Amino acid sequence: MEGSDALLAARLAAGDDRALAEVFDQLAPSVYGGALRVLGNGSAAQDVVQEVFVELWRHPDRYDPAVGSLRTYLVVLARHRAVDLLRSELRRVARQERHYRLTPAEPPGTASDEVMAAETASVVRAAVQLLPDGQRRVVELAYFGGLTCREVASAMGIPEGTAKSRLRLAMAKLETVLDRQLLEST
Amino acid sequence: MSTTDRDRANLPMDPLPIALRERVMAASLLARGVGETVPAVPAISADEAFERAADAFYRLLGTLSEQGWKTAALRGLDVQELVGHLTGVEHDTHRALAGDPAVADAEHVESTQGSAVRQAGRSPAETLDEWRRAADHTLELVRAPGGDLAADGCAGRIAVHGIRLPLDDLLVVRAFELWVHDNDIRRAVGLPPSVPDPPVLRLMSDLAARMLPYAAARMGLPPADVRLVLTGTGGGTWDVAIGEETAGRESLAIVADAVGFCRLAANRVTPAELGSHITGDEGRAVSVLAAATTLALD
Repeated sequence: MEGSDALLAARLAAGDDRALAEVFDQLAPSVYGGALRVLGNGSAAQDVVQEVFVELWRHPDRYDPAVGSLRTYLVVLARHRAVDLLRSELRRVARQERHYRLTPAEPPGTASDEVMAAETASVVRAAVQLLPDGQRRVVELAYFGGLTCREVASAMGIPEGTAKSRLRLAMAKLETVLDRQLLEST
Repeated sequence: MSTTDRDRANLPMDPLPIALRERVMAASLLARGVGETVPAVPAISADEAFERAADAFYRLLGTLSEQGWKTAALRGLDVQELVGHLTGVEHDTHRALAGDPAVADAEHVESTQGSAVRQAGRSPAETLDEWRRAADHTLELVRAPGGDLAADGCAGRIAVHGIRLPLDDLLVVRAFELWVHDNDIRRAVGLPPSVPDPPVLRLMSDLAARMLPYAAARMGLPPADVRLVLTGTGGGTWDVAIGEETAGRESLAIVADAVGFCRLAANRVTPAELGSHITGDEGRAVSVLAAATTLALD
């Protein structure tokens, strides 16, 4: 298929929906599989597949056959989208945990939400363990503990500016670590 | 194991959920319709297309040397005589716009031969000036406010040189011919070929695609459904139905460069030279492409 990627890209740009169907039939299993391994959730992986193919159809010019194969482009795009989704889930989980702690009597979300959140939190917690101690502690207190930067600084006995800077560094590393983990997982 | 390794090893991929394909295709087509190109090409009117083609042709002629004007270009005509031919076409178009039946079925080359040979003994500047005034007069006629033509718009058909087309299509035909002869002259004097403005090319591609059923009918081709995909800026996607609606129609897909396809429709390249990608019966597809070459007026 790689040999005809330029032709497929030209057909997509010309508005040939059959080219999109051909690409889907050839590459959707790889895209779906990649997203599924990142997210561990079939429904979320399907959303990523849809997002990736709609993106390809809307902006076929963003794919450059001279740079690499269409397969690589789509799989990498799927990973990025999956990681984005994971990060967004991380923020949601952190918000939810803070919310539950403040209002414990309120009923939690649906069973599938909880499964998804648990899977996401598990992946992220594993990545957090790879951070240096100082940065890991800041992340744990801020995201899983729900503390503000000022509270984190106070709890760790460090200046607030240092807490903020460690959090920034930790998040940057976390993103890198997550990306590498996800790449290796496929 | 990487995805590529997995593929190479022919290991089973993750099973795709049922209905995902349908869902993805529906969402995609909601975001962008079939035949909508990327990048999008601005739509222009047919008279604008003609004007742009005329301007491009005028610019080319302005670069030619005295010797260039005398270079053999087409059908035994030198460049100056070829421009004279085009002046003759404009004059016949003026008559057609006025409803003169004498030019309706006149032969394209024969009818303008007098105008071509009349250039002998004239200076290139005179020939150029006469053609420019003729082309400008075509634009004046079709743009005349409140005139009969403006009132009719493209609803009425104009008959000239054996073709009967709505005014807008006729103007695209005129733009088409100017571009074709622009390239005839370029080839004659050793200049690289030109490509129309994308909006002009889009109108030319569209006209050639829409005319394909008529060309195929003239050639007696059997019924077929043709997905015509013209690539490059100014191209697009067309579903062309050839022949009558019958069961068991041949289904063909032809992918070709838009500029190349327009050269084919102008009978300047052969189906083999076009370098198209065909799905379906190759012989049938080549017959369709061969039919396209008969659209040329020359």
